[in-house]
Amino acid sequence: MKQAQWLLFAAALALVPSTALAQKKKPPTGGGGTTAPTGGAGGGGQTIDLDNPQGTQPQPQPDQTQPQPNAGGTGGGICEIDPSACPKQADIGEAAKKEYKKEIYAVEQIYVLRYHRVELTPYWGFTLNDQFVSHGGPGLNANFYITNVFAIGLNGNFYSGLNSDSDFNFQTRRATRVAVPLTEYSWSAALNFTYVPVYGKFAGFGSFIFSYDLYATGGVGAISTRPIPVIDPDNRKFDFDPKVCFNLGVGLRIFVTRWLAITGEIRDYIYPEKLESLTIANGPIGQPSDPNSPSNPKTWVQDGVDITNNFQANVGLSFFLPFSFEYRLPK
Amino acid sequence: MSKITASLPVSATLLATTLVAGVVPATIIGSETQAHAQEIVLTGPLKGAPPVIRLRQYREGRLEIAPQFAFTLLDEYQHSYFIGGRINYYFTDWLAFGLWGGAFLNSNTDLTSQIDNIAPRDLLDQSNVAPCVPTDAKTTAGAGCTGGPGSHPTFSDQTATLSWAAMGQFTAVPFRGKLALFQALFVDTEAYIFLGAGVVGLNERVSCGDTGQPSCNDVASFALGSQVKFVPTFGIGLTFFLNDIVNIGVEYRALPFSWNRGGFDSRGLGPNNNFPDGKVNGDDETFKFNQVIGISVGVMLGKRKTSQ
Repeated sequence: MKQAQWLLFAAALALVPSTALAQKKKPPTGGGGTTAPTGGAGGGGQTIDLDNPQGTQPQPQPDQTQPQPNAGGTGGGICEIDPSACPKQADIGEAAKKEYKKEIYAVEQIYVLRYHRVELTPYWGFTLNDQFVSHGGPGLNANFYITNVFAIGLNGNFYSGLNSDSDFNFQTRRATRVAVPLTEYSWSAALNFTYVPVYGKFAGFGSFIFSYDLYATGGVGAISTRPIPVIDPDNRKFDFDPKVCFNLGVGLRIFVTRWLAITGEIRDYIYPEKLESLTIANGPIGQPSDPNSPSNPKTWVQDGVDITNNFQANVGLSFFLPFSFEYRLPK
Repeated sequence: MSKITASLPVSATLLATTLVAGVVPATIIGSETQAHAQEIVLTGPLKGAPPVIRLRQYREGRLEIAPQFAFTLLDEYQHSYFIGGRINYYFTDWLAFGLWGGAFLNSNTDLTSQIDNIAPRDLLDQSNVAPCVPTDAKTTAGAGCTGGPGSHPTFSDQTATLSWAAMGQFTAVPFRGKLALFQALFVDTEAYIFLGAGVVGLNERVSCGDTGQPSCNDVASFALGSQVKFVPTFGIGLTFFLNDIVNIGVEYRALPFSWNRGGFDSRGLGPNNNFPDGKVNGDDETFKFNQVIGISVGVMLGKRKTSQ
């Protein structure tokens, strides 16, 4: 039995390979990145390349050390196979005269093409710079991209009923008896131009990649506003009045798919505002035709206009239509 | 032998001998000299490759010193400007612990100037608006206060100001990539979030109206006293690396806490304490979601690494 033990030990030794490797993949053979299957049994594991049609095997590379027929630039193989297709010197001259596309994109094959697509962005707006009244509300951007980076579009905001007078106003009025003229908005609409100068991609947590772009936008339109009567609320009732309104903004789009993006932008709406008058006319009440009556609407607002900047942060989703597109050039 | 036979049947002994005699030569002949534990490639040549190869690791094992200028948003009575910076040490390329701190400078908002100029100083607001004692011949109190030199205290003297801040914070850098500007200029860009806590020093109107304290009508009660608040902080930012050492950063920071910005007696009595009680104290502090936008220039100390 002792003999049998030695035999088993010898067998075990023989079964142990001379080297045990948790080996990295062999580098792919050939220059195209494809890996030729190794035919031998157990010869390094099987490589299945789904990019190649089944059954097509990479052709063996010609031996670079062997002299190539007609390698001297006189046409090469095509001239031997089909002399009529052999390029002539005149053809090469004509080809050299052809215009070529000088533009080479810095980031090849952009994840999302915008060219001739419609972008619809419903969003919710938040006030950034009005500590007295917040003008939050829904809005919509609709853009048509004339080129891949330039769009023309419409923008609208709906504020009516959503203006929020801050408690800070009340505290200030009660403590100091100084009222700040307040304004509420009803709606705004504008014709805009959008330019996308910046785009790129991010790696998230080192495990996935997403694309984004930054855009600048600007336009002109109208905004409908009115003062909130705080100085003389008993006599003053204001109607909404549209004013010309310019807007400038920058935004960031993070693409979830090729047709859906999460969008955040900051936009400044600039318009001339008529503020409530801080003084009350001391004429008779109830006589609107009297220029000194507190009932005369002309006494309700201050002289001149205040140029107002309403900075608004918009967060929404962008939908690109049509959903799919084709690249002009291959990868 | 008999002993062995007793424990192992003869048939088994024969079987073992046969197996060894047969397997050993077969194994020696048939075995390879290497054992392969190879991954099967299912698709193209990039299958199994990491998302980013040879990633420039700007942060791992490096110290960042970033002087910063910042300003507050949605200011009520005072604009605040921050001059300071942050120091971060990055344990990994995506996680750091550091300090943020500096000093604030303040200036009146237009509202504060308006209150100083037009607030009537009378019995109704004498505990809430500094009386504006004219000590300069050119200054007249009248119905309001010019707020000019020698005319103190004014309303702006009673409004709270941020003084300094010091925070400890963890920073995570989950997103990184590069930015192509006009399809020509490339900048490595990272997005980060941070979370921490610390202290904010501020000057707030001193307590008044209670036992042992000055009356809230007293000129002395409109002075400011130093306070320290324990405050959480969090925010997001972007870093643009100009090269291996220098970066430019933009960040948004929240510093939410309660304080009495106007120095008013506005709470402490009645339903939900919503009415003035003739005292200025902690009851008059109201919550504010203080927001700060900062711009920084960072310097990374240490050698930059590159991933595999």
